[in-house]
Amino acid sequence: MKKPTPDFRAILRILREHRVDFIIVGGVCAVLQGAPINTFDLDIVHSRKPTNLDRLIKALEALNARYRTSGHEKLKPRASHLASSGHQLLMTLSGPLDLLGTIGHGHSYEDLAGEAKELDIGEGLRAQVLDLTALVRIKAETAQEKDKAQLAVLRRTLEEKSRS
Amino acid sequence: MQAAAAEPTYSEDGVDLTLIRWMLSLTPAERLDVLQQHLRSVLRLRGEKANS
Repeated sequence: MKKPTPDFRAILRILREHRVDFIIVGGVCAVLQGAPINTFDLDIVHSRKPTNLDRLIKALEALNARYRTSGHEKLKPRASHLASSGHQLLMTLSGPLDLLGTIGHGHSYEDLAGEAKELDIGEGLRAQVLDLTALVRIKAETAQEKDKAQLAVLRRTLEEKSRS
Repeated sequence: MQAAAAEPTYSEDGVDLTLIRWMLSLTPAERLDVLQQHLRSVLRLRGEKANS
């Protein structure tokens, strides 16, 4: 697959059209809440209920999703992959998409749903986004050296938000 | 009369607070547009053909 320019709204639109239950986490989540960081992929935590996996598989077919890990570029994700707590790193027609069964120390869609909020992300689209406070807390659980600079930006963003 | 203290430009750990304040002045949709525009610029600079 030719490397596309990431178009996050295009991916989110397909997921919404297929009524997939998911929460945006990671860099796009942080940007939507005011953090000045950059990211090239869209990270989501999806509900792993069978009915949702059926809808997610159809959405991924519409996005022509394939694994982007070396040697697996022709492999399509299956429901059994998406039912796991692991991370599925995919390439789609509209750029990289990471499907995360859980994040941090095992937080699932159901665990995070109470800390998500719906945001208007433009062009008639709305999406569930993990609250920035929860994102910082969970990111800190498993932060490696490379994550520390980004965590500092997220924490300062939270401070500035509390002042405004 | 003393002038009001200016807001700090950087945090103690080196984060540019002016960028954060600017991003917070935007709507979520506008923030997403900023990110998308940045990605297109980076990829263009890297010589990759952007889908528009």
